[in-house]
Amino acid sequence: MSERIVIAMSGGVDSSVAAAMLKEQGHTLIGVTLKLQECHDAHGSKSCCGVDGITRAREVAGDLGFPHYVLDCVKDFEKLVLEPAWQEYASGRTPSPCLSCNEKVKFGLLLDWAARLGIPRVATGHYARLEKGEDGRPKLLRGHDAGKDQSYFLAGLTLDQLDRAMFPVGHLRKPEVRDWAKESGLPTAETPESQDACLVAPGESYAEMLRKHFDAPARAGEIVDEAGKVVGQHDGFHVYTIGQRKGLPAGAASRRWVKAISAETGQVTVTSDASELVATDFIAKQVNWLAGNLPTQPLSCSVQVRYRHPSEPATIVAQTDGSLRVTLKTPVKAITPGQAAVFYDGDRTLGRGWID
Amino acid sequence: MLYADYNATTPLDPEVRAAMNEALDGSFGNPSSMHSAGQAARRLVDRARAQVAALIGAAADEIVFTSGGTEADNLAVLGTAEAAAGKQIVASAVEHKAVLDPCAYLQKQGRAVTFLPVDCDGRADLAALEAVVKPDVALVSLMLANNDTGTLQRVAEAARIANACGALMHTDAVQAAGKVPIDVKTLGVSLLSFSSHKIHGPKGVGALFVRYGARLASVFHGGRQERLLRPGTENVPGIVGFGKACDLARTRLLADARRVAQLRDHFEQQILASIVGTRINGGKDRLPNTSNLAFAGLEGEAITINLDMMGMAVSTGAACSSADKTPSHVLLAMGQSAVEARSSVRFSFGRDTSDEDITRAIALVVQAVNLLRGVRP
Repeated sequence: MSERIVIAMSGGVDSSVAAAMLKEQGHTLIGVTLKLQECHDAHGSKSCCGVDGITRAREVAGDLGFPHYVLDCVKDFEKLVLEPAWQEYASGRTPSPCLSCNEKVKFGLLLDWAARLGIPRVATGHYARLEKGEDGRPKLLRGHDAGKDQSYFLAGLTLDQLDRAMFPVGHLRKPEVRDWAKESGLPTAETPESQDACLVAPGESYAEMLRKHFDAPARAGEIVDEAGKVVGQHDGFHVYTIGQRKGLPAGAASRRWVKAISAETGQVTVTSDASELVATDFIAKQVNWLAGNLPTQPLSCSVQVRYRHPSEPATIVAQTDGSLRVTLKTPVKAITPGQAAVFYDGDRTLGRGWID
Repeated sequence: MLYADYNATTPLDPEVRAAMNEALDGSFGNPSSMHSAGQAARRLVDRARAQVAALIGAAADEIVFTSGGTEADNLAVLGTAEAAAGKQIVASAVEHKAVLDPCAYLQKQGRAVTFLPVDCDGRADLAALEAVVKPDVALVSLMLANNDTGTLQRVAEAARIANACGALMHTDAVQAAGKVPIDVKTLGVSLLSFSSHKIHGPKGVGALFVRYGARLASVFHGGRQERLLRPGTENVPGIVGFGKACDLARTRLLADARRVAQLRDHFEQQILASIVGTRINGGKDRLPNTSNLAFAGLEGEAITINLDMMGMAVSTGAACSSADKTPSHVLLAMGQSAVEARSSVRFSFGRDTSDEDITRAIALVVQAVNLLRGVRP
């Protein structure tokens, strides 16, 4: 049945093919590109403000014959994604802004905007699949292309958001998407792979970009070893993340990793013992659970603690405050506060929490 | 497509196209060159200048060609400020950004700038103007007709006030030109901006009328063209097209205005009668072609996009935005709330709008509004 659908277009090949597929199915499309940053704030990076993306998306919409609009989300993106991300760095944690962007912007603001036009559904070019469960509720599944699967980034969407989402390319593999684009003559067929580090200028860390953006002071401090001995100084703990090896002073030991970051003392603690970095236990907070009610009994499932990381067998136990205690079957390296823990049952996404 | 956005731009008239083609094919010369090729191009520019001047009752020498309305407005504001160091600038709060932004720029440089308030119909407060205009005022800028609402301003009265104090009177006539008769002498203005593409001419060309003796400094430098006020080789084919467009506008203005006013009035009556909660912005004294309507409880943006999908082009006067959507500064200046201002859509009709177009436009607007009201809880 032909539907009116809003298609979010980044100007990349995935969302272009998603649009072409929906168009072929006979749907009436409204293309939208989200503008997330002002051009004059783009720190010299050509694609930062999304102008390249907007131009390409407009070209694809023109070729496929549907209207295209630019939705200015600059102020909301700053408030809903960038500010909280900087707060995380400033607290010594490592945020996952892509999840917040999906939850609050792409499937927040954009869904609302579509609803105001009288259009219930929003499609994107994400590599993830949706199925309707027996209870009529949507099930979020991993994309078929294991290397591109983006269900991790979508695991924070609510059932209502998923109910209104469409991922037309989720059952395809990346080469198939490229072939589709080439065969349909889409101008984005050869678009280079966009990285997940949206908005970052070349040669600059995301944390440093945010610090400059908010004109926040860098909190310099000491680098200490596990015994508390000062082994060096740093210019700001925000650029460090758990498990990091680069940018640390060479010590007696041949290798060192960041083990902990303290916003209170400003200290970055390093270890030269890799086994110190692994853990089997953590708490996941602000849980978004997609499979009915939170389990009342310990549940065996698998958990993924960062993007592009294998999922590990684990047991989860719901706590009285709604958080989850996660116990991994085998220890995992560098479980990082601020990152998302996403739970799976096979291909099915069960939910996500924030690593505490 | 049902085009109802003539205030944004207009299609090129076939006669204008023919005149431009002739200029493109026949006269590539530089009007500043001494030789015959240059002289041929110069004659085309001279003829166009007379045609453009005739539309507003000016002398040909009083026309300065620019790249369009925005440049003409900038030249009027910045050129006057440059020539009158330290003196104040006055502009209405509902001017186009092409006037407001240069004023704001001057203000940032330390210049005294006063923005005149308007009433709920968008008409500038002339008592406030009278109170503010003193011998230290260099320029008063008040548009002839507003682009969003079509509201006509009392420019002749404002000019009397400005002229009495020795201030230059500027009017932005970009939206009014070709839609209502204009005579710079009756208006008493010293500066008047207008643009070609709003009157079925090509884009990228406009003019500033600069009355003889008006003190204006150039903001560009590098050539002796256009009385030094707009140096650079002339856009000959554009100017030729603008001239022809002015010629056509002048000869058919009254008949066009009468016809389009009837269509517009019928459109408004039908919409007001068929859709509850609809209101006209901008009062009674408006351009004959413009209809700015507020639809209670709806967003103009949603109506605009739905109409676009149905094949009808209209405008909201603001870009799509998720937050802090800055609604039309014109409607806000008229005292409307942001929600009210966002509920408005601008319909503007023109030379090629037919009776059937209006019938279809009414049906489509009713359909779009019903669709949007239907999905609201």
